[in-house]
Order: sequence, then C-alpha cells, then structure tokens
Amino acid sequence: MTTRTRLAITALAAILLAAVAVGYTKLSAAPESNVAAGGVIGPRLQVLSNGRLSTVSRTDPCGPREVSEQLCDRAYAAAGTVACLRPVGALKSGELAVLDAELHEQRTVPLTGFPNRARVSASGRMVAWTLFVDGHSYAANGFSTSTGILDTRTGALVTSLEEFVPDRAADTNFWGVTFAADDNRFYATMSTGGHRYLVEGDFAARSVKPVQDNVECPSLSPDGTRIAYKAAIDGDPQRGWRLSVLDLATKRITPLAETRSVDDQPAWLDDHDVAYGIQRGDGVNDVWTVPADGTGSARVLVPEANSPAPLG
Amino acid sequence: MRRRNGYAAVHRMAVRGSSGRAHASLPFPEPLSGNRKRTGMSGRRAPLAVLAVTVLTATALTVVASSDQLPAAQAATSTFTPAADTFVDSSAAGTNYGTSGQIGVDGSPTKRAFLKFAVSGTSGTVTSAKLRIHTDDVSGAQSPSGGAFRATTNTSWAETGVTWNSQPAIDGASLGSLGSVARNAWYEVDVTSYVTGNGTFSIAITSTSSDGADYDSRESGTTAPQLVITSGTTPPPGDPVLVGAGDIADSGSGDSATAALLDNIGGTVFTTGDNVYENGTSGEFNSYYNPTWGRHKARTKPSPGNHDYNTSGASGYYGYFGSVAGPSGRGYYSYDIGNWHVVSLNSNISMSAGSAQEQWLRADLAASTKPCTAAYWHHPLFTSGANHAPSTATRPLFQALYDNNADLVLFGHNHQYERFAPQNPTGGLDTARGIRTFVAGMGGASHYGFGTIKPNSEARNNDTHGVLKLTLHSNSFDWQFVPEAGRSYTDSGSTNCH
Repeated sequence: MTTRTRLAITALAAILLAAVAVGYTKLSAAPESNVAAGGVIGPRLQVLSNGRLSTVSRTDPCGPREVSEQLCDRAYAAAGTVACLRPVGALKSGELAVLDAELHEQRTVPLTGFPNRARVSASGRMVAWTLFVDGHSYAANGFSTSTGILDTRTGALVTSLEEFVPDRAADTNFWGVTFAADDNRFYATMSTGGHRYLVEGDFAARSVKPVQDNVECPSLSPDGTRIAYKAAIDGDPQRGWRLSVLDLATKRITPLAETRSVDDQPAWLDDHDVAYGIQRGDGVNDVWTVPADGTGSARVLVPEANSPAPLG
Repeated sequence: MRRRNGYAAVHRMAVRGSSGRAHASLPFPEPLSGNRKRTGMSGRRAPLAVLAVTVLTATALTVVASSDQLPAAQAATSTFTPAADTFVDSSAAGTNYGTSGQIGVDGSPTKRAFLKFAVSGTSGTVTSAKLRIHTDDVSGAQSPSGGAFRATTNTSWAETGVTWNSQPAIDGASLGSLGSVARNAWYEVDVTSYVTGNGTFSIAITSTSSDGADYDSRESGTTAPQLVITSGTTPPPGDPVLVGAGDIADSGSGDSATAALLDNIGGTVFTTGDNVYENGTSGEFNSYYNPTWGRHKARTKPSPGNHDYNTSGASGYYGYFGSVAGPSGRGYYSYDIGNWHVVSLNSNISMSAGSAQEQWLRADLAASTKPCTAAYWHHPLFTSGANHAPSTATRPLFQALYDNNADLVLFGHNHQYERFAPQNPTGGLDTARGIRTFVAGMGGASHYGFGTIKPNSEARNNDTHGVLKLTLHSNSFDWQFVPEAGRSYTDSGSTNCH
C-alpha cells in the first residue's frame, strides 16, 4: 500500500515537474545533458576491473573509471612502474609484463602458473610476483607456489626465491613479497612444516631469515614500521584469515576491524589505511578499506574491482 | 515407504523463492498523457480522462491498481531491478560510468545506455514484460527524444567494464522508442517480444538527438529502472527431469544437503564427476556417497572425475556404480529421455580427435534420432573458476557435439555454479548453433573462488550448495538451480533446442 502511494505521489510529482520543465524549456535553450563525462583527474588508484587495468580517482573512487585494454589477472604499480601478471592465453602461457605509466610494455618475463600476487617497490625499481604452480588455494594441502623478483634497473632476475635457501626442505614455498625503501631488503611469506613465517630477505646477498610465525602476504607500510598481513585464524588457514598489522619494532599485533576472512595481500593507501579485495558470491570482487590501527570499520572503496594500488 | 511428490514440492518452493526475491507487484497505471509523457513507438496519446483519474488521489490510484490485478488471479507479477546498467560516451571512449547514479543517451557526443536484467523464478508464459525507466530529476534530463530501445546479443558485459571502446554490439531486435521525455518522470517500453521467460536480458538505449535524455540508474534506489513481468501460472507440464551436480561427497555436510534436495525431485540423476573425495576408493564410496546421493543410485547416471581416478582405473567408481557407469575403465555411454539423447563422457581418458572416445561419440550422435541432445563430463571447457583453468583437452568432444547440433553440456571440477550463454567450441557467442554450458560443481564439496570472469558467463555462485534441475521439454529445456535448505540463491531460464 505504501509503495503504491509512493508511486502515485511520484506520478503526480512527475506531472507537475514535467509542466515546470516544459515551461523552463520554452524560456531557454534546451540544456545539455548533465551526466558526467570526462576522465579521471587528480590522485588515482589503479585497480583491475574484471581483469582489465583501470584507474579511478582517489577522491571519488566510486566515480567514473578509465578502463584500458591491458589484461592482467593481478597487478600493482608504483612510481610509474606497472606490474601486470597477464593471463594464460589460448596460444601462449602467462607472463609478467612491466609497463610504464602510459602502459607501454618495457619488459616481459614468461611465467607458468596461476597469477596470485604482484608488488612493485615504492621507487618503481623492484618487481615481485607469486603464482600458484600446483593447487590453487592457500587453505588447501599440497599446493605449491612460485615467487620471483626482477630488478628493473639492473635486469637481475630471480625466478624462484627458493634459490635463496639452498638447504631448504622439500615443502618450502614462498609467496607475497613486499619491498623496503632501499630496494634491497624485502619481506615475504615462507612456508614449511605446516607453518607460514614472515621472512626478511636481502636481494643482493640472496638470503632470507625468519622473523615471525603465522604471517602471510606481508605488506610493508610506507613509513617502513609496520607489516599489514593476513593471519591464519588459530594458525589454521582452513579457518580463514584475519587482516592484521604487525609493528616491526615492538612485535605487537593489531587485528584490524575487518572481521571477514581476507585472502589477499593488503595494499597501503597511505600510513593509515589499507585496501584489499573481497569476492562476492557471484565472483565479482570489491576493493574494501579499513584503518590500519584496529579502529573504525571496513567499507567499500572501489566497487567491482580488485588488485588495488595507490598511484600518485 | 512414503514418497512425496517431488516435482510439486520443488515447484512450490521455486514460486516462493521468486516472490521473496522480486519485490511486490506494482501494476503500472495507464500511461500518463499529454505531450510531456509518451510511451511506446507510436507516441499515441492516452485519453485526457486517464490523466484526470490518475492525478485524483493516491487512493484512486490504489483502486485502479488493485482492480487491475483482479483478473490476474492466475497470473504472477514480478518486478526486477537491473543486474547491471551503465552508459558509454564517445567523447570519453575509455571511461566507464558503471557506478554512476545516471544513465545517459545522446546523439552528440554519442552516449548509449545499457541495461541488463536477470529474470528468474517466473513460471508459465510471460504475458507482459514492461521496461520502466525514470528520467533524472535534474535540469537537462528531459529530451525531445527518449531514445530507441534494442536488445543486445551480448548479455555478459560487466557494469564496471563497459566503455565506448568495449561496448556490446547493439545487434538485437528493435523493442520500441520513446518520444519526448520530461524531467523526473516514469516511462515504459513494452519488451514482451524479447523477455519471454527466465534468463538474462540486455537492452541498449540510443538517441540521435543532440539534446540527450538522462535516466536514473540502479544505483539511484527507488527510481532505478524496472522490468515488470506478468506470467501465467500454467501448471508445469509433466516433462522428464534430469537433475544433479558434481564434486559431491566427502566428510562434510554439503553432500547431505544436496542429497536431501534429490529426495524431493524426481527424474534421472546425473553427476559431473568427483563423486567422492579424496581418492575415489570403495571405502569412500561406502562411507560418504552411499548414505547421501547413494539413496538415488538406482536412477543415477554418473560420470567420473579426477578424484574418482585417484584410485587406479577408477575401480572404486566402476565397482560402486556397476554397469550403469558404462564399461569399466571406459566410462562413456549414452541413453535417451523423452525427446532427448543424453551422453555421459569421461574427461579423464583420451578425448583427442580420432581417439576411441571421440570416434564413439561421433557415431553415437549420428545414430541418434532425438531432436535434442545433452552431454556431461567433469573437466570444464568453459569456466571462470580460479582453481582450474578451462580444459582445452575436452574441446574435441565439444566439437563433435557442436557438429551434431547438441544443445546442452554440463561440467564440474570447479566447486561452484556457473552458466554460460550458448557458445561455439572456441568460446564465441553463437545464438544460432551454440551450446549452452553449465559448471555444476556445487554438489557438496567446499567452494572455490572465481578468477577473472570469462566472456559469455551469465550467472555465477560460489556460496550455496545445490543441484541443477533440467526439465527436458520436447523441443527446449528449462534450467533451475535448486539451493540447499536455508539458502536463497537460484537461477532459472529456458533455451530452445536447435
């Protein structure tokens, strides 16, 4: 009944407003349609729109978006370097494509597996990636990953971080690299023996050392003091993951206000907020954001998007 | 033993489900008259008296609306809001406006609007389908031309992906046009010729007027576009049913939930592989499959998956199902239901062109005299799942089916539900000869995620276990995702045989 009343009022209002509108039209030139047109200006976020590299405005991330023809299953960008993990095509396997800010291809690295994580150092120099080689879920048993790093300045390429652990156990896997400001130190996840450790690596020295247990998909804050990551609930990935922040100096862990399970490598939007993807039941992802200090609540930052990266 | 009439029970459930999802019937009053509001191609003006009645009072309108419903005691009206709507702009060819509260049409610069509706839960013949759109309440929303409405063959475009550069071809039937439109008003276009039942429908609006019109998009809330469908509740015909899923039985509870659905749905049961986890042993079949889906073993026509083949030669699978699963170790066979020829295939052995299986399939299809053909196997040729890429090794089987004008193919392997539009063997949209495919991997095992959504994917779900119920009519089929108890996701529609 109330809906009908509303409809009636709407219909009535429509007639009255239409009359007003026609009166206005007669007095002036027909105004142009005012639907917003034009591109994205100002500071931007890079996202994927169902696999196509896109940008939205930082100040209006729900507004218009620029959608390119570049296809990526996972992407990241910093300081004019775009890392795009291209999907497997009908006639070719997947690859890492390093693009410049105008999306011109600078270099490609052939890769095998399902693209999963990508990261670029803040300077734009270092690029890292993770693909699933066997299995496809961090919650399942028996998966294996392939994680590599490319130095875009020197061309130095490490196709598997497992090379950094010569005497590793057979079940050793790496995933989710994040770089420090010196473009040499990095953090990543190393799993072995049923545990997932935060490791700190030294690219030049080709070494890694364990820092903390139960840290996956680390992401170093812009100020270099904290690691945002996903923490397996009670150490059991099959129970899901809680988005958390580790203070590297005090080793204090802060669970964030996002209480749903998050299976993503978070991205810092600035020193205060992180962004991450969550998938809906129909396979469409949204980029969410939550404060990095455990306060506040999660909210949608970019609808129907994933793989967020802040651009300048 | 008591047996319920499964068909009727499920039918009632489906009707309840649909009324819960779509909001209440809202019959549209007679078109408002005058030169400020027209509907339909003709621009015919309704009598002024109608205008007078309509504006009397809200009560008067309610009476009109209610009386309008009286003769429709046998009919049901459902209102759907768009699953997606957006517009593209030739002056910003790489920009997407999917999240905008407006959709615009214009002739210069050219703006085109696209709307998509997912219709499900209707039964019987659609007697009326009306697209209702509301002009924006801003200066400039009005236009001397509300635009031309036309169907698009592509119904799988993404709201946040469509740009001028990547817009769907506007290649379908013309549905009508609107003349002059005013600001802040509802307009209606009859799309009954296009929306003939459940399914996914895409409509484009274009305008050649340099003074464009702006409509409210689905993001606007109460003035979002609507598709109002009236359908008769024709009793469902007693055509045969093929029902099932894949990726079924393990130590969890999903298999029990889907088996309970089968208890109330008659017909033949299909499986799309991975009947039992982890290794397809006889012990696992006895422990997990037999107490659940095993209740329907006598009417089950299975197919094997890779987990069934974790036991050498899938001996657990062949031992459990016996001769019904086809010759042991071969695993492909066919049977007829009504006007349909149905083929169960084995994607765990060679499928290459010239292989024994492919040769057998071509001979089997050539020998069939049935007008409609369905097939199923485990590894999907088409899937957006993140866990298993499309299995191109299955393409020769799909090619043989396509060459023989088959109508329907079912897969499993990715633990989720996905429906694709009819496609050719290379994944091109093909409304003439294409085969509609489903991934029906929602039979009980834990769900998988989706990756980048593939072209022509029309519906997806990965949070609800269920079964896919196919009603096999003499020259068409209806599909319906039947969710486990306590869940509401569903998806239904119809496709004609070639």
